[in-house]
Amino acid sequence: MLGIVEQGLILGLMSIGVFISFRIVNMADLTVDGTFALGGALCVRLFSLGLNAPVSLLLSLLAGAGAGILTGFLHRKLKINVLLAGILVMTMLYSINLRIMNGPNLPIPKTSVSASLGTFEQVAGKDPLADLFEPSAPVAAPQKEIAKHRTFENIFLGTADGQDLLLLSAIVLICVALTGLFLRTELGTALRGFGTNPSGLESFGLPKTLMTLLGLGLANAFVSLSGGIFALYSGFADVTMGQGMIVTGLAVVMLGEILFVRRKLVYGIFAPILGGIVYQGILAVVMRYGYRIGFRASDMKLLTALFIVAVIGFGLIQTKKRMKGKFRLSTIFGGGVGRD
Amino acid sequence: MIKLSDVSVVYRKGEENEKCALKNATLQISQGDFVIIVGPNGAGKSTLMKVLLCELAPTVGTYYLNGKSMRGFSVTQVARWVGRVFQDPNSGIFPDLSILENLSIASKKGVRWLRFRSCPQKAVSLLSLLGLGLEKNLNTRAGDLSGGQKQALAMIMAIISDPKVLLLDEHTASLDPKSSVKVMELTRQINEQFGITVVMITHNMPFAEQYGNRKWKIEEGEVYEYEYRPPVCLTRSENPFPLVGDQRRCAPKCV
Repeated sequence: MLGIVEQGLILGLMSIGVFISFRIVNMADLTVDGTFALGGALCVRLFSLGLNAPVSLLLSLLAGAGAGILTGFLHRKLKINVLLAGILVMTMLYSINLRIMNGPNLPIPKTSVSASLGTFEQVAGKDPLADLFEPSAPVAAPQKEIAKHRTFENIFLGTADGQDLLLLSAIVLICVALTGLFLRTELGTALRGFGTNPSGLESFGLPKTLMTLLGLGLANAFVSLSGGIFALYSGFADVTMGQGMIVTGLAVVMLGEILFVRRKLVYGIFAPILGGIVYQGILAVVMRYGYRIGFRASDMKLLTALFIVAVIGFGLIQTKKRMKGKFRLSTIFGGGVGRD
Repeated sequence: MIKLSDVSVVYRKGEENEKCALKNATLQISQGDFVIIVGPNGAGKSTLMKVLLCELAPTVGTYYLNGKSMRGFSVTQVARWVGRVFQDPNSGIFPDLSILENLSIASKKGVRWLRFRSCPQKAVSLLSLLGLGLEKNLNTRAGDLSGGQKQALAMIMAIISDPKVLLLDEHTASLDPKSSVKVMELTRQINEQFGITVVMITHNMPFAEQYGNRKWKIEEGEVYEYEYRPPVCLTRSENPFPLVGDQRRCAPKCV
């Protein structure tokens, strides 16, 4: 149960990114699949190089923001359709991630601080038997050498005592609070305005390019951060870990909005978090009992995509229902939008 | 205040289907003027508006605002001096945001930073000028307002930060007659009370007759200034040519 909530929180954090690009900035950004893996790959690589986990995560977040900004730049400056720009950056990131990991995947080193301190010679700076023959004053240890071999502990312990859950909850709450505060500022309000009327914002002196870069940068920063957290949590990064993340993220956002439609907490940012937990719960149930009806784990992507189609279709029916005043079966069994 | 010197705009220049949308327009608008522009569809009214908004650079000629050439200026740069309201009531507001948030965005021009948003008292008092009671429902979603209310809100948003000029492109076209009159009265008030120069495009001839101190007509890219004289013998409904008057051709030459 703890694992479901923990993974749901990570998924929810990723979905905040999707929520920002799809709902706030109103752009279908497909960079997400690449940035999720970028976050994971970079975080694990930096961590194994000796940086501590928070710094690795922060740098992954910045790299994700950079990828989002690149998509925005391609879209605004080179006039490439945002979908294509996202696909291009996602494709670039596939190769970059392979380079970063120097292979298709990279595990987190199991070494702890004590196990990686290096040899006696490296620490003491002298031969261990030298004092036996020629007593001398202790030599100062070469600190740089120690630092080079130092490896930090993973922030996720992988234990079932709830510490990981606590840490993840804290990270998610901080992210939601900071985003909520940002959206209350003049710049954040303008970003929300940009999503609803991009041309209108220009007449108040705010360039579309700036807002696009800001929105996509922010969205991909969240996705990359969650990719990094996911890699640390699961103990490895894989080049395919971001595959289909955009669809999953969108499903989570929609699920959250359906379940918590009347409670728009913090501009609706809470919906993806709660949606992520519910989605992960559904996934766990399906994985556990689905085999009885012939369900396979690989079918989950199909179900997720069908869920999105169903939600969009249901939304359309609701709109037609509101417009016509009453529900008609013809909306499902024919007489579609084009015929009205 | 606004000066167009021999401005021409040619679409698809050098191509087979080249079109001269604005021909050697030489115009001058002074501070406090209320200019009405009329003309048939495709005559070049919106092209002129785009030039004034710096959305379109003139192919030939120069556009001056406050004595400064606007060549090379972008829409966002010129927004400091120019407010605009278009035909679609949703184009001038942010429908998903509350009235308060809309006013907050409009109360400042240019790039903004991480200061918490605020709504200046001036914005609320301007809103109360409308007499629509919007100032009491600041948290209402702007998209839920009626067309007239949206357009009135858009006009208030356009003038909050004291622009020099307000450009209106058929801003009453999608409103019912009653709302149109209210919005036109607000336009007059903005011009007379705040001294903001208004340039308005309209297809509504009664409004063109009733409002504005200067009237222009655009036909096939040529701009004429005319003086409207109310017909003496004919009633308004009988007069087939309500724009007949002294017409002065501004610059009839094509590029």
